[in-house]
Amino acid sequence: MSDKLKEIIDRQNSQQNSAIEQSDKIVQLVGFVIGEEEYAVPILSIQEIIKPIRWTRVPQTPQYILGVFNLRGSVIPLIDLRTKFGLKPKKHNEETRFIVMKDEDDVAGFVIDRLTMALRLKKSDIGPAPDTLAGDDSAIEGVGKLADKILTILKVNKLLERDF
Amino acid sequence: MDEFQEILQDFLIESFELIEQLDQDLVELESRPEDLELLNGIFRVAHTVKGASSFLNFDVLTHLTHHMEDVLNKARHGQLLIDANVMDVILESVDLMKALLSIIRDTSSDAGVNVSECVVRLDLVSGGDGDVPTPVASAVKEMEDEDFMDAAEDEAEDDLDYDNMGADELEAEIERLLNQRQEEDKAKREAKKTSPKSESAPKPSEDKKKEVIPPKPAVKPPVPVAPKAVAKTRTYDNEDSDAKAAAPTKRTSTTVEQTIRVDVKRLDHLMNLIGELVLAKNRLIKINDDVEERYEGEEFLEELNQVVSIVSLVTTDLQIAVMKTRMLPVGKVFNKFPRMIRDLTRELNKKIELEISGEDTELDKSIVEEIGDPLVHIIRNSCDHGIEMPSVRLAAGKSETGTIGLKAYNEGNHIVIQIDDDGKGLDVDMLKSKSLEKGIITEKEADLMTDKEAFSLIFKPGFSTAAAVTNVSGRGVGMDVVKTNIEKLNGIIDIESELGVGTSMKLKIPLTLAIIQALLVGVQEEHYAIPLASVLETVRISKDEIYTVENRSVMRLREEVLSLVHIGDIFEVERILDSSEHAYVVVLGLGASKIGLIVDSLVGQEEIVIKSLGEYLKGIDGIAGATIRGDGGVTLIVDVAAIMQMAKTVKARVKIEDVSAKALNEKNKASDYIVMIVDDSKTDRMIMRKSLEPLGLTLVEASDGQEALNILKQGEKNFDALLIDIEMPRMDGYSLASEIKKYNRYKNLPLIAVTSRAGKSDRMRGVESGMVEYITKPYSADYLSSVVQRNVNFKSEFLK
Repeated sequence: MSDKLKEIIDRQNSQQNSAIEQSDKIVQLVGFVIGEEEYAVPILSIQEIIKPIRWTRVPQTPQYILGVFNLRGSVIPLIDLRTKFGLKPKKHNEETRFIVMKDEDDVAGFVIDRLTMALRLKKSDIGPAPDTLAGDDSAIEGVGKLADKILTILKVNKLLERDF
Repeated sequence: MDEFQEILQDFLIESFELIEQLDQDLVELESRPEDLELLNGIFRVAHTVKGASSFLNFDVLTHLTHHMEDVLNKARHGQLLIDANVMDVILESVDLMKALLSIIRDTSSDAGVNVSECVVRLDLVSGGDGDVPTPVASAVKEMEDEDFMDAAEDEAEDDLDYDNMGADELEAEIERLLNQRQEEDKAKREAKKTSPKSESAPKPSEDKKKEVIPPKPAVKPPVPVAPKAVAKTRTYDNEDSDAKAAAPTKRTSTTVEQTIRVDVKRLDHLMNLIGELVLAKNRLIKINDDVEERYEGEEFLEELNQVVSIVSLVTTDLQIAVMKTRMLPVGKVFNKFPRMIRDLTRELNKKIELEISGEDTELDKSIVEEIGDPLVHIIRNSCDHGIEMPSVRLAAGKSETGTIGLKAYNEGNHIVIQIDDDGKGLDVDMLKSKSLEKGIITEKEADLMTDKEAFSLIFKPGFSTAAAVTNVSGRGVGMDVVKTNIEKLNGIIDIESELGVGTSMKLKIPLTLAIIQALLVGVQEEHYAIPLASVLETVRISKDEIYTVENRSVMRLREEVLSLVHIGDIFEVERILDSSEHAYVVVLGLGASKIGLIVDSLVGQEEIVIKSLGEYLKGIDGIAGATIRGDGGVTLIVDVAAIMQMAKTVKARVKIEDVSAKALNEKNKASDYIVMIVDDSKTDRMIMRKSLEPLGLTLVEASDGQEALNILKQGEKNFDALLIDIEMPRMDGYSLASEIKKYNRYKNLPLIAVTSRAGKSDRMRGVESGMVEYITKPYSADYLSSVVQRNVNFKSEFLK
């Protein structure tokens, strides 16, 4: 009896381990478009994705900070990634979304033009950021290679860092 | 180790509590040196701390408290009179004790504080020769000293220096004490049993014994602790453990408290939750209002109304209840002042009496922690600068002893802390000349200053009236700290003073920080919340009342000159020029300063919950936080203190803008006049165009209300008038008119209705929605032209 039990437990353990190993090699990302480029962030750093809602302007802030909005009782800053990445602001449309990202206690909403898809990417398919863009200051984590395109993977903690 | 930590925690909590009371008792003792009960109480504290600290092996602390105890013991037996000198030494040792305890709290060890000097003095006071170089030597000496004292036998035993004992000795000692205790208890029980009638007789003596020889009860606290500490190394026989079990239970039963200690974090969390509830309540009330409007007269409304009012009532009660749990009596802060005054009087050679009242008044914990420092500064200031030397006072016909009154009381949603002194008062001329000397104000400012403004000079950084920097004050920092701290709490400082009679300072502080009453104001399409505590009044003024002095906008408010700043200038609100002739001024008061904030509209008063903007947006100038309104939107809360600072640097644009507005409206030719024609019928638009073209105006066409509104919103052109048809798809003329009137910029834009609806009620509706003229179709071209000319103030020289 106890042998059997042990066997089962062992088997479960090994399954779990292999699951962990698998997840070690795979990164789950959410892709989105800003301007012409496609970007992605790890799915685990996304708290939620919502349709645009009303926000309040906050004075004395850079242009890319649109203001703050109310997410079920929390006041959360709203950052326009278009403006932040040096593109011209665009009117929000049907496809515009707010992605609420979090890193430990930091939370902020980011305006993106359009969502693409959630994707699983092998770690080996992710290359480092180009040397010219790499470094601690860069908001680029790496470049993901897909069959037909590449996408830029962003560092969430960098995006959530106040830089003004 | 954990067990040790636990004991240590208990020890620290107990000791700090004991010492808090000690300061007050000691000062009281100085005035009533004969009060045996007081003395006993103090002695007990020293003894308790000594006993416990020796158990925990804090040698330095034990050493110090031991000598304190010695001095106090002699006083207790009438061998030593407590005079000011003795008290100085005792107070010094209490300070050292506090320092040691803080060090123990932080590092779990009592190393690092040099007590030998103080111990020597204690020893000298108690009649020794001051030869106490090391703890060990002193301990021995102490025991000899005690031999000649008429202390009870067991007291000498209690004074055994535990830390000089080995572990075995210690345990033996504990065992011995426990046995002894047990025997005593037994004897007591016996005595009770045998002589129940004569109970009244032995009891007092017992009580007396307890009081006169407190070591017995005082040494108790370590006893319940002892088993934990020793249990690891040895097991006791049954009898012993029984005794031990008896001791702690007996203790706990007598100290069953009506309070529990709660982590402040939990209370904070609770407060946050209440905050959410208040927001939800606000929202519910708003929805209820909307529903009421829409379903007027329906039956379920009443039910809904009841539920809403119950919810809001309970929420308010709940909020108050939770707020109360966070309340502490302000006496917690006041307690340290008797001691401070005492020290100051000796230092300054003045005679000062402190009168405290209202120490039971309660305040939020976070505020209690913040007001300590400001009060210290104010009281030191009163002692140093306010109260005169005794000789001066006598010469001025006052009593030799100066009085400082410290009182707290509630006033509405505020608590007022008032500090009065009967000293020399503030000299306005001297304040001004000193400030001039230090370059804090200009001569012109000095001339214009009212007395109140002059008083508030004492809060300027760098200001000091003291001729020389003393230990107590004169560096010109303290009062600046007062102002900053009080402003941080949204408090107001009010000073009143009469030369030669005294000064009275009032600190008005809101009861709590998390949920506040706010005034909501509008600027263009944005709303801001201003803490009501800082709002003194609101006034509606006409633009003519705004003057410009040295490039700053000011207005006259009754007798005062109030400097003005537009909220839009501070918060970079894109201001589409408003031509309205009136403005609302919110008079803000903080600390002792005032400013007028110009806003476009006053929205109303609301209870708001302060939420932080988070890490990413923190520290933005002028914004104290945000709140969520009943409609789910976010409204920013104005940081009044910061605004006052910012107002100094923000340029006065109020007037300048007026000038530029005029320049913009300057008409040089007929085509500078721009008129919009809003009509869904192309034919009608054509007719109007034909009628107006001869004037040479610029004409813009829109085919419905929505389009017209969009054109206006773009703000590319400055329209002088609008011709509006009433019947239109998408948005009709009435709605368009009322929409347009929502914009400040277009408040005065003439709207002319051109319609075939000729009924009286139609005309009424037109007037209600803001139309100035009502032209019924059909009309003559000349009539239309003349109406337009009149409304745009068409200059006759442009007429061809």
